[in-house]
Amino acid sequence: MQKVHNTFTPTDQSTQFIEGLKRNDERILKSLYQNNYGKIEALVLKNNGTKDHAKDIYQEAFIAVWRNVKEEKFVPQNETALQGYLYTISKNKWMDYLRSKQYKKTVQVSKLVHFDPSDHGYETTDDDIFKEKRLEGIMSVFKTMGSPCKELLTTFYFEKKSLREIADELQIEENTARNKKYRCMEKLRELVLASKS
Amino acid sequence: MKDNSNITQELLETIERYYNDSMSKEERIEFETKLQQDTTFKSQVEDIKLLLFGIESQSLKEKLNEFHGELPIQMETEDPSSKVRFLHFRKIAAAAIIIIASASFWFFSGSSNERLYNSYFSPDPGLPTTMSSSNNYDFFDAMVNYKQGDYQKAIDKWETLQQKEPKNDTVNYFLGVANLAENKTDEAIVFLKETASKQESVFNDDANYYLGLAYLKNDDKENAIKFLKLSTNENSKKLLEKLK
Repeated sequence: MQKVHNTFTPTDQSTQFIEGLKRNDERILKSLYQNNYGKIEALVLKNNGTKDHAKDIYQEAFIAVWRNVKEEKFVPQNETALQGYLYTISKNKWMDYLRSKQYKKTVQVSKLVHFDPSDHGYETTDDDIFKEKRLEGIMSVFKTMGSPCKELLTTFYFEKKSLREIADELQIEENTARNKKYRCMEKLRELVLASKS
Repeated sequence: MKDNSNITQELLETIERYYNDSMSKEERIEFETKLQQDTTFKSQVEDIKLLLFGIESQSLKEKLNEFHGELPIQMETEDPSSKVRFLHFRKIAAAAIIIIASASFWFFSGSSNERLYNSYFSPDPGLPTTMSSSNNYDFFDAMVNYKQGDYQKAIDKWETLQQKEPKNDTVNYFLGVANLAENKTDEAIVFLKETASKQESVFNDDANYYLGLAYLKNDDKENAIKFLKLSTNENSKKLLEKLK
């Protein structure tokens, strides 16, 4: 048997991990999720929280991390860096939550002087907030979308299956699947628009 | 989605290719040129991208609940009381070791450089923390901790920001000073160097000064002099005199 030349160095493995995350590779997402939950749960339980709190905060943080990696706002060197990032974000979110509950009434934010440490800073712009709101709107509309369309769009856009595979599973022509997908997208756009007015 | 502006199947598929990064080089160039020139096109693309992202985000959210249901069970059955006590003991032991170590360090190695460092080091007074509600909240939140002398808390917060913006001169500078105040000289040096390497930064002068101090603390006189010379700060000059 001919030996296959192995080109994977450890860095390639990290790259594969990150690429897998961006591609929504289920195995990678699952292992990242399950391997790191315990630490966050322990943190939240130790700091006046319940298991439900831990789950909510962790999932929120997980989506934020996934998103920042996808948009390349955070470029992890390896899996460990990513785990640290996930932990920090969860921790911050939990602290924010505690703060909002306890200090909502006492914290006064002054608007007297405003100093910007740098103009290429990390501040959130109104544009970001607007985009965030729209994204939330899309998510909640998609959540309640009728199942044939929801399933089709999930398989194609999230699981990244090809139209060929989807067509085979549904036992339809590839071109039919393609048209269906387009109509479902149109439907979703319509629903999102309707939800706004 | 601003209006019903028509998005054809072809356009949808083009945007999909862009989103998935599966365009040929020529197609990408053409696409990006059009993005810059045609604002209607640009907003159509943005809308679809957001839609695709929304689908992915919601799908992931639902997936996570699935993963959560399949968490290994042994995690749920940890006995918290015994674990806490065990950790407690370890913490006390670790704290004792640190105290003994730092005390003996203080006893046996109070070199002249160390003394000089102690008489010159005082942390940067920090930036004014009055702020508008949304801008850089995280940064100033940590600044409040810093000013209260809770350097570790400030470090934790700034480190999160620093991960997002590894080159930001302000964050690196304050991370450096805070670490130095916490006696974490090696960490301090790494952060301070980042800002000291930026000539245009308003913190450049002070970064060099603190960097000099950090090396002094590490008993590295050569590097201490090197960086103190790069700073025009009054204290730098005085300190340099004494080092000669």
